[in-house]
Amino acid sequence: MKKWFGKLLPSFLMCIVGITAVLIGITYFNFISQRIYDDSTDHLEEIYGQVNRSFGSFVERNWGLLESWGDYFALTDSVQNSSLNEEASRDSSPAAETAESSDSASSEGILSVDMASDIISAEEIKSSEAVGAGIENTDPIPDFIKKEQDYWGFSEFYFLSSDESCMTPAGQKGRMDLGGSWDSLISQKEPVMSSETLSSGQEIIVFAAPVPHGEYEGFHFDAIAVSYTNADMADSLNVDAFSGKAKCFVIHHDGNVLFSTQTGGNIFSNYLTYLKAASDLDDWMLSQIQNDWMSENSGLLQCRIGNISYCILYQPVGYQDYILLSAVPQDVISAGFLSVQKTTIGVLIVIFLLVGTMVIAPIILSSRKQSRQSQMALQYRDLMFDVLSNSVDDIFLMLDTENHTVDYISPNTERLLGIPLKAAREDIRVVGKCAVDGDVVIPKAELESIPLQGSRYWECEYMHQKTGERRWYRMTVYHMSIQNVRKYVIVLSDRTQEQQMNQKLQEALTAAKSANEAKSNFLSNMSHDIRTPMNAIVGFSVLLEKDADHAGKVREYTRKIKASSHHLLSLINDVLDMSKIESGKTSLNVDHFSLPELLDELNIILMPQAKAKSQSFEIHVQGAPPEQLIGDKLHLNQILINLLSNAIKYTPDGGRIRFQVCELPQPAHQYAKLRFVVQDNGIGMSEEFQKQIFAPFSREISSVTNKIQGTGLGMAITKNLVDLMGGIIQLESHPGLGSTFSVELSFVLPEPEQSELWYHQKVTRMLVADDDEDICLDIREMMRDSGVDIVCTTEGSAAVELAVQAHRRKEDFHVILLDWKMPGMDGVETARRIRDQVGAGVPILVLTSYDWSDIEEEARAAGINAFMPKPFFASVFWQTIEPLFFERADKVEACSEPIEENVMEGLLFLVAEDNELNAEILTELLDMEDAGCELAVNGLEALNMFKKSEPGHYDMILMDVQMPVMNGYEATRQIRACGHPEAAAIPIVAMTANTFAEDVRNAMDAGMDGHLAKPIDMDAVREMVGRLLQKGGKIQ
Amino acid sequence: MNKKGAFALLTLAAAAFLTSCGKTDDPGHTTLTLMGRSSDLEKSYMTSIFEQYEKSTGNRLDIISFKDADFEVNASGEFAKGNVPDIFLHFHNADLNRFDVSENFYYMNGEDWVSDLTDSARAYCQDKDENLLGLPFWESSVSGCYYNKTLLDQLGMKPASSQAEFDVLCQVLTDTGYTPICWPADGCTWMFQFGMDPVFADDPELLEKLNSNQITYSEIPQITDMVQWAADAAENGWFGSNYLGEGWNDIGPALGSGEAVMTFIWDTWFYTDFAGGNTYTVDDFALMPVFMNTADEGTYEGGNLNMMMVNKNSEQLEAALDFVSFCASSENYNAAFDGISTVSCFKGQNTNIQSQMVTDAQASIAAHERVSTASSKIIGYSADDVASAFNDLFCGKTDVAGCVKLMDDYRIEEARKQGIAGF
Repeated sequence: MKKWFGKLLPSFLMCIVGITAVLIGITYFNFISQRIYDDSTDHLEEIYGQVNRSFGSFVERNWGLLESWGDYFALTDSVQNSSLNEEASRDSSPAAETAESSDSASSEGILSVDMASDIISAEEIKSSEAVGAGIENTDPIPDFIKKEQDYWGFSEFYFLSSDESCMTPAGQKGRMDLGGSWDSLISQKEPVMSSETLSSGQEIIVFAAPVPHGEYEGFHFDAIAVSYTNADMADSLNVDAFSGKAKCFVIHHDGNVLFSTQTGGNIFSNYLTYLKAASDLDDWMLSQIQNDWMSENSGLLQCRIGNISYCILYQPVGYQDYILLSAVPQDVISAGFLSVQKTTIGVLIVIFLLVGTMVIAPIILSSRKQSRQSQMALQYRDLMFDVLSNSVDDIFLMLDTENHTVDYISPNTERLLGIPLKAAREDIRVVGKCAVDGDVVIPKAELESIPLQGSRYWECEYMHQKTGERRWYRMTVYHMSIQNVRKYVIVLSDRTQEQQMNQKLQEALTAAKSANEAKSNFLSNMSHDIRTPMNAIVGFSVLLEKDADHAGKVREYTRKIKASSHHLLSLINDVLDMSKIESGKTSLNVDHFSLPELLDELNIILMPQAKAKSQSFEIHVQGAPPEQLIGDKLHLNQILINLLSNAIKYTPDGGRIRFQVCELPQPAHQYAKLRFVVQDNGIGMSEEFQKQIFAPFSREISSVTNKIQGTGLGMAITKNLVDLMGGIIQLESHPGLGSTFSVELSFVLPEPEQSELWYHQKVTRMLVADDDEDICLDIREMMRDSGVDIVCTTEGSAAVELAVQAHRRKEDFHVILLDWKMPGMDGVETARRIRDQVGAGVPILVLTSYDWSDIEEEARAAGINAFMPKPFFASVFWQTIEPLFFERADKVEACSEPIEENVMEGLLFLVAEDNELNAEILTELLDMEDAGCELAVNGLEALNMFKKSEPGHYDMILMDVQMPVMNGYEATRQIRACGHPEAAAIPIVAMTANTFAEDVRNAMDAGMDGHLAKPIDMDAVREMVGRLLQKGGKIQ
Repeated sequence: MNKKGAFALLTLAAAAFLTSCGKTDDPGHTTLTLMGRSSDLEKSYMTSIFEQYEKSTGNRLDIISFKDADFEVNASGEFAKGNVPDIFLHFHNADLNRFDVSENFYYMNGEDWVSDLTDSARAYCQDKDENLLGLPFWESSVSGCYYNKTLLDQLGMKPASSQAEFDVLCQVLTDTGYTPICWPADGCTWMFQFGMDPVFADDPELLEKLNSNQITYSEIPQITDMVQWAADAAENGWFGSNYLGEGWNDIGPALGSGEAVMTFIWDTWFYTDFAGGNTYTVDDFALMPVFMNTADEGTYEGGNLNMMMVNKNSEQLEAALDFVSFCASSENYNAAFDGISTVSCFKGQNTNIQSQMVTDAQASIAAHERVSTASSKIIGYSADDVASAFNDLFCGKTDVAGCVKLMDDYRIEEARKQGIAGF
């Protein structure tokens, strides 16, 4: 209470002081206004009292002058004499005088009843020929009058006769009205003042005074007069008070205006009429005014004329019922006083304010300080709250409980929900519209059910309106009361991290479970898969020991042990591959490679497998894919071998395996995209298995697959390798119908070799015969840019016909390419018939995807010059026909010459192997090949043995890699650098259990010529040895 | 009508004209050639006096008329060919200079009827050397400041007799709530010439210099004074608040209702355009001079009069002068102008209808009337052009000096169009 009182006290005091000030101000203003009005009217009365007195003096002066001039005229002899004579004459005949006077006036042509036409101006007098010409100004009177006129400033001087005629000193005669004052002037001998109007319309004021009867130039006069123009009068009165904005009139009591001091002249004829017509005075007031004027009373009144308020002051002049009237705009009168009033009020206000300031200022200052501190504290609090809310992901709102208008919304709302703060302030419902589950509006009833000081919360998921990011909030609504005003304080507490953490934990838990399950499965699978061949090996080893003397059984057991060992080896290789892929240690070995070579190698590897199962294995190339590519050939090979091996493996005997390569649209310049399709008509897969085929150790369980050995890792490895190469793998399979795997990969294109353009100059016409129309089209497509005119046919007989026709036209084909296995007439028969009719001039090639060794002899006898593997590639084609055109037919099959079986016979190997058992096995194996070896237990020993050897002593070095003292790589490098005559030439082959791509690369980098994986496969050894020695020219 | 047709008619007319010049049909009877504008010659008082003449004298008048638009060109062409008619009707304006007045026409100062001419009529017909060029025989009016006398009387006010009084009158009327001057700016093109008349009528030398392009308006202080007065009047509210949008048709209602007290116009307007049904009628109005700060005592503009001029080289000079004297006979002109609303050109004219307003102001008119000078004698003067310059001033598009310059520019441009020497 005390605090409340303390807060309100300054305001209360200020109100009291303010009200007091206003009351004092009003009272003072009224007082001052009244005083100013009184002072103004007093001032006005004083001024116009002075004007009145001045005007009285002016009148008195003129009348006094006229009287004195009358005396002067009386004293003037000429005037006096004339006066006496004429006086006698007039006395004898006043009627005649009147008639004479009338005639005289008439004769001048200026007689008029109109007052305006009676008066003659000085100018008119001067121009009057009739009168002016007969008067000689020899008298002193004109000079006297002229001097007086110059001195006193009147406009004209008149002699006045009792018959109301007049004459100027210049002799100009006329009549004067004098406003009906003739009687006063002549009979009562009183001076008069009147206004007259000249014929030009100009008004003059006439002052007349009786003088002793006299005569001037034959004109008998009883009075004399002077006239002033309105301007002269105004100048004489010199009323310049009120900045000339006051109008001053001398009016008759009936309102007729005698003259006005207004600059410019008088435009009023009757001011009472003007007031009646133009002012807001009512009839009673006007009647009062008129009465005052008639009674010669003074008066002061206020009225409004148009938009201007006037003070009208009137006071009698004291002569002939004339009234001096002034009309002054009120603002003009009060201007000075208003200035004083304003100054006084201003000073008082300043004093009051100063005093008030001195009294209230400390209170106000204190109050303001407190208020400012409070405001500052509030501002700091707001600022801190804003900063706080900006730094957290919680949203704070305060709503009015009645209409839910927003009193506060934290500024981070826009950041967190993506809705403009202004929109949220205008309508809080926009926040509810951010909810993921649609418009979240808490029913009013639910809100109202929250007890005061109580709260409720809801869990909500919101979506950022701009980024789409989802956030989870706990919306807690507090029902609060602030100074009896009820509010809802809403806190949207961010639960996003918590939610995300929960999700991650859930996922991690799931993953862990899955991993654990996978691990269990893996162990289970491994246990099963390893134990199975191991069981066979152990079992048959026992049987072998038991039946050692039984040669047939020994060979049978040995064969089965060998098969189980190979299976175990492949299982281990796959496990290791998988392990390496999953650990992210697999890297790509990107290099140039030839697509035709790749396909040829696949054909070599897989054709025997397919052949073994009597399956047809076809390789097709669709379109004209680039032959030279840059990519990881090794891994591509692995992918395709896996797919093709599986196709062969899971396709029953006699089935069909089709391998197709087609070019897809280029993804970008310098890139080629190829699709490799492996299609079989094998057992197919169920939809369920298709979903997990790429998972490790996945194998479909069926009566068929159970009989097929497999690790369940091949497809997982394949999928991982495809992913690693940035490609995609797709599967379409139907149980019992077969499967189709499709792999799409991109490769970098090498710079095109311009040298390829030359070959078409030798061959311009070519005949192709293949029963597969697609192959014909592919060949045509691949030779599109060669300039070779290709004629295709799908039948051998048609090919014969075409060749014969061309020969008859003497336009033999330059090359004839025949498919081997065509329905009807096969390639060999076709070639034979062509040779019979065309002769030996045309090279004939057979295109086949089969091993042609069986028919080679028959084919050559039929006239076939060479064989070409499918699929057709232009580069391979040219390599094949080039020797034919350069008469090097004897070397056509150099590359396909079979490796001799006894290639290792008589060779001496330097074997570096630290494992005694492995060394022994190898020694025995080499011995079986009739080859000898010398053993070194580490790399250094091998190096020394080589260095000490005579040139030609060793034919080849088989080098283990992981050895003590000096490993195989280092030993190889040192052998290459040791300076032995055969250091550079001797073949060195890595023989190691390190079988990954980088292991092969490392071996090559160290200077080795080949790589053989352990355990040693003698077929591979023979192939390697044969190739290397052939390369080195040792085998002829 | 094609050019050939027009040429044939013109040839026939010329032939007829030539054969009729000085031709005497019958012994004792003469045929006089009289040339004028077709519309002028069709006026009833003109046809009346021609009929009277022919009937009374037995002489014949061979009337040669040209369409108004072609009159100046065709008539001056005939003069150039020596085909000067016995009697030639023309206004005393700038176009009269085409006809070599001193060489062709007889000065009539010595004719008996001269004393019967009103001062204003005589002044109009005189040249700068006070040679009377012809007999004024035309309907006329007096332009001045027509004011609502009844209203002023009701207000206890009186008309002004000087520029200063007029200004006071305007200000008091404004303060009292009236529009002092009805000045409909849109189409009110004639008022400006009233203010300019005194400048050039009182100083013919100034007019000569202006017409020979020796000086411009901007070098004549009175013109600037007039423009300044108009600018001040507009600013003080003497024209009312809506004068810029008002036109010719607004004058009657404004004056008739008493909303406006005065306007600068001519007397016959009250009989032709001041519709009835108003609070105030023509009887409520009176005439005082126009005050536009160029003549302290104000000015009236006399009417433009058609003069009957006589070919002094004619073989029938005497007969032609007799014809003019016949027209100047009070009996004959009163018969011709019987019932015609016009200001009198002759002192003895009494059958015409002259407005009471003019009659009442006769003395003032006699004192302050000027011959219509600005519009008729300033080469290149166009009432529309001057009004356009003033409207720019009233609209605030230009100042006083700019307005005067515009007036000059328009005038000089028009003079150049007319091919006047010196421009």
